Amino acid sequence: MLIPVLFGVSLFIFFVMRVVPGDVAQTILGTDATPASLKQLRENFGLDLPLYQQYLNWMGGVLTGDFGESMRTGKAVLPDILNRFKLTFELTLIAAVISWIISIPLGIIAATKRNSKTDFSLRVVSLLGVSVPTFALATVLILILSLFFSYSPPVGYVGFFENPIKNLEIIILPAIVLGTSMAGAVMRMTRSSILEILRQDFIRTIRAKGAKEKVVIFQHALKNAMIPILTIIGLQIGTLLGGTVIIEQIFSLPGLGQLVLTAITQRDFVVVQGAVLFIAFIFVMINLLVDVLYSYLDPRISYK
Amino acid sequence: MKSFWKRLKNDKVGLIGCIGVLLVVIFGLLAPAIAPYRPEQMFTEHTMQSPNGKFIFGTDEFGRDIFTRIVYGAKVSLQVGLIAVGIGAIGGLVFGLIAGYFQGIVDQVIMRVMDVLFAFPDILLALTIVAVLGPSLTNTMIAIGIVFMPVFTRIVRGSVISVKENEYITNAVAIGVSPFTIIFRHITPNIMAPFIVQVTLGLSGAILTEAALSFLGLGVQPPNPSWGVMLNASRTYMEFAPWTILFPAGAIVFTIFCFNLFGDSLRDILDPQLK
Amino acid sequence: MYKKLMLPFLMILLLVFATACSDDKSSDSSGKDGKEGKSDAEQTLKIANDQEPAGLDPHKTPAHSSVRIYSKIYEGLVTFDENMELVGQLASDWEQPDDKTYVFNLVEGVKFHNGREMTADDVKYSFERIMDEKTASHISSYFADIKSIEVMDDNTIKFELEEPNATFLTNLTNSSAAVVAKEVVEENEDLQQVAVGTGPFVFEKWVPDNSVTLIKNKDYHVKDTPKLDRLEYYTMKEEAARLSAIRTGEIDMTTLTSKSAGLLEKDDNVEIKDYQSLEYSYVGFNTENKPFNDEKVRQALSLATDRESIAKVVWDGKAIITGPITPAMGDWAIDVKDEELYMRNIEEAKKLLADAGYPDGFSTTITTASTYADMVDTAQLLQQQWAEIGVKAEIKQIEWGEYIDTWSNKTADILIGRNGSGTDPDRAMNYFFSTEGSANVWNFSDKDYDKLVEEGKRTIDQDERKEIYDKAQKELLELSPNLFLVSPESYVAVRKDVKGYTPRAHNAEDIDQTYKE
Repeated sequence: MLIPVLFGVSLFIFFVMRVVPGDVAQTILGTDATPASLKQLRENFGLDLPLYQQYLNWMGGVLTGDFGESMRTGKAVLPDILNRFKLTFELTLIAAVISWIISIPLGIIAATKRNSKTDFSLRVVSLLGVSVPTFALATVLILILSLFFSYSPPVGYVGFFENPIKNLEIIILPAIVLGTSMAGAVMRMTRSSILEILRQDFIRTIRAKGAKEKVVIFQHALKNAMIPILTIIGLQIGTLLGGTVIIEQIFSLPGLGQLVLTAITQRDFVVVQGAVLFIAFIFVMINLLVDVLYSYLDPRISYK
Repeated sequence: MKSFWKRLKNDKVGLIGCIGVLLVVIFGLLAPAIAPYRPEQMFTEHTMQSPNGKFIFGTDEFGRDIFTRIVYGAKVSLQVGLIAVGIGAIGGLVFGLIAGYFQGIVDQVIMRVMDVLFAFPDILLALTIVAVLGPSLTNTMIAIGIVFMPVFTRIVRGSVISVKENEYITNAVAIGVSPFTIIFRHITPNIMAPFIVQVTLGLSGAILTEAALSFLGLGVQPPNPSWGVMLNASRTYMEFAPWTILFPAGAIVFTIFCFNLFGDSLRDILDPQLK
Repeated sequence: MYKKLMLPFLMILLLVFATACSDDKSSDSSGKDGKEGKSDAEQTLKIANDQEPAGLDPHKTPAHSSVRIYSKIYEGLVTFDENMELVGQLASDWEQPDDKTYVFNLVEGVKFHNGREMTADDVKYSFERIMDEKTASHISSYFADIKSIEVMDDNTIKFELEEPNATFLTNLTNSSAAVVAKEVVEENEDLQQVAVGTGPFVFEKWVPDNSVTLIKNKDYHVKDTPKLDRLEYYTMKEEAARLSAIRTGEIDMTTLTSKSAGLLEKDDNVEIKDYQSLEYSYVGFNTENKPFNDEKVRQALSLATDRESIAKVVWDGKAIITGPITPAMGDWAIDVKDEELYMRNIEEAKKLLADAGYPDGFSTTITTASTYADMVDTAQLLQQQWAEIGVKAEIKQIEWGEYIDTWSNKTADILIGRNGSGTDPDRAMNYFFSTEGSANVWNFSDKDYDKLVEEGKRTIDQDERKEIYDKAQKELLELSPNLFLVSPESYVAVRKDVKGYTPRAHNAEDIDQTYKE
């Protein structure tokens, strides 16, 4: 499964980058470029070679662990990606945990008290989380903190293992913003899935046998409801890894999203290809994990 | 159909959502009649005015009436949301049903293609599609639709697999009911709940994605108003002209909110087990 | 069984992966600076920029985000002082035996940051590298006139030109005409990720999309310079984040838009410094495509354009109306206020359109880059203004990479953008508008104009030169291959404890004498 998807992604991204209008040489050299310097630069990048050869050269490198160097900055691509992945991964993980802490208990409460005032107000709150665009929320947060609390997050990024406290201080605001925006969706999925399960025959049977409501919810309903919830969570983590672009930009975080975005606007093929392939790899891994979790939760599903 | 309305009437929350959605739709459709000005009309002598008698929601940096732009923006946002989610949801439903029902090699192929699409960062995928097709509202909607397709496919497939294990389906297969009938008569109604929830979430996602794309210049072209564009443009003015961000944000929140309320009650209404 | 093993296996794989990523070099280097930065005596200036530097090779990278950094590390032969007069930098002085020959005497005892003494050989090597096709340098065309470079002795170098060239010395002030060390280039293939120059600051590290750190060059050849011990550049693309960080003192200096600058005026801890920039906004026509091949149409659009309103709405009134040479270039710029084509006249514009055969106007498309809000705003204003003479324009905003492509392939009819008019009128005039000009993407060609700007380039006498460019500017306004709109003011917000800093159009980040109280 890993191989065909990654192969497909590599082919797709490679040809897509050649179809999208734009020229890396012109973007680098700007208005000062002369036709001769443009031609030379393209040659330096090997862009004058036939397409299949460019692809083979690139793949040849990738398979031996050499993702090439950025056309724009000359920086080796793979180490840069790995370095940025640390940040994006951490951000995603913390955001996800924040969203679970908020959403799963609330979802359960809402489901058990269906159509009550509690249910309604929880739904309203979760909806607000979903409907406010993250970029607006982030900017408002930055503004309020600086105006009323004279606070702004530290500017120099440090990794978790170098300075955990400063690192968390940098990460926490963006993680909260992302977490709140994710929480709404997870809560709604939790609520609706549990309602779904609660209606099924086997729950009725369990209830009929006189099981306590707590046991019904936590031992039976929640476990069965985890499948759609997991789907959503898996999807969200996958999306976040490649989709924290806006948050990374607003909070000036050197993550994967920024790398890809800048590389796209600069038509830095080598970086875009490498980063996309990498994101795809991680994404496939997460899917694999979700699939495996499926079969744990629902023994009827066989894992192939 | 009758029972549909009856059930909706009984669900007050759903009714509020439904009315809200209708309100947005009416605003969008009747924009020229409701709005006091044209959306691109500039009153350059009245830039950045706070809400007043003449401009009830105030004006933006060009002196354009924000109320007018919100009303017209309803149309744009609805278009983007409905068409984009339409493409994504229908595609996702079809592929998800096929993949989930037949499994095996068909499933493998469909899901791997979806994985390829999904493994692509959204914005890059949309950027590519729009770059190839050219920037315009329609192409933006297509792009967002394709970006959404894998999500729907995965959700539908996941539900199908889980529903398929139920006895009544295995029985139906055993007595030789055609796959077509099983898919549409027995499986589809049973997977509608998570699907509809995802549709309502998708609508909000589409409106937000549109804003993110507009930020990259791939969305609605100016001076057409869309809420996402207005929100994005007004971020710079938030501190001294809060109304420029407040009203578009309010419009987005209100719309998404109503769609979701409505979606929730639709979920209950459409659920065959509740009938 | 297999199933049960899969989950822990995957978990472990992910974990191993995450930790494997965590040991690389940038970790250790930034680990120690956290402690160093705390000492009281150390002067650190934190500057926030809106763009990430592209690369650090001065010969290969024109991006402003890079220039502002490598211009602190490298030096050229000559530079501009605060009054925009030429002064020596690595050259102590120079003479001109004839119009085509320049002899530079180098400052003695200048050392590269790696400790090696800089000699005339390095100067020769640097210019040869710029001119070498293989380098694909963006400034090779600036020095296309050089016939030979001769090292007279360790501290003397002679340039011979093919023809007299009035722009030669000003071209030398370009930050990209930097003197680099040969051994560093050879060791690293290029200079994008390393930097060894002779300038006031030494490159320490670059954390991608986050920060670049420079430290004081203790052996700098100018006495008591620089005053700062450390210079930290942070990439903060979001204006709101920069605004918030300058308010709380997280950073000491940043550029801002006029709107945000206005918000800081009442802040006691921040000072706003402004200067007239060398940039101007323009409307460019593809002068080969109908209807813009007719100068009457272009003139009509100029008459229909309300430049005052653009300055007011787009730039908050903090911009002045300009011709092809911006007022920040002082005497070189002509006064455009009284130009007939700059005074809005709808009647006259309609008449011109009718003369050109478009009595009812026409439909067209304005292309602009979504990356820059001011360009999109300008497009929206022009759309409204031109509608008054019956020109129905649609706006097409595209993303930066595609915009550059459109620009270089001349695929748009009307392009809105911003240009820097450089420090020599030759750039503003020749380079953008002569038939052979490398940035003439307008298909514009006028023989008389070509002759004028060529003469301007070859005339050494400044008064004569000015006369020529005055004439050329008038002609350019008349032919209107571009409509020149406004030149905005630029804003730098600085914390109050930062002293000795004045931004200027040609050197916005002159921090050599800057210190913190």
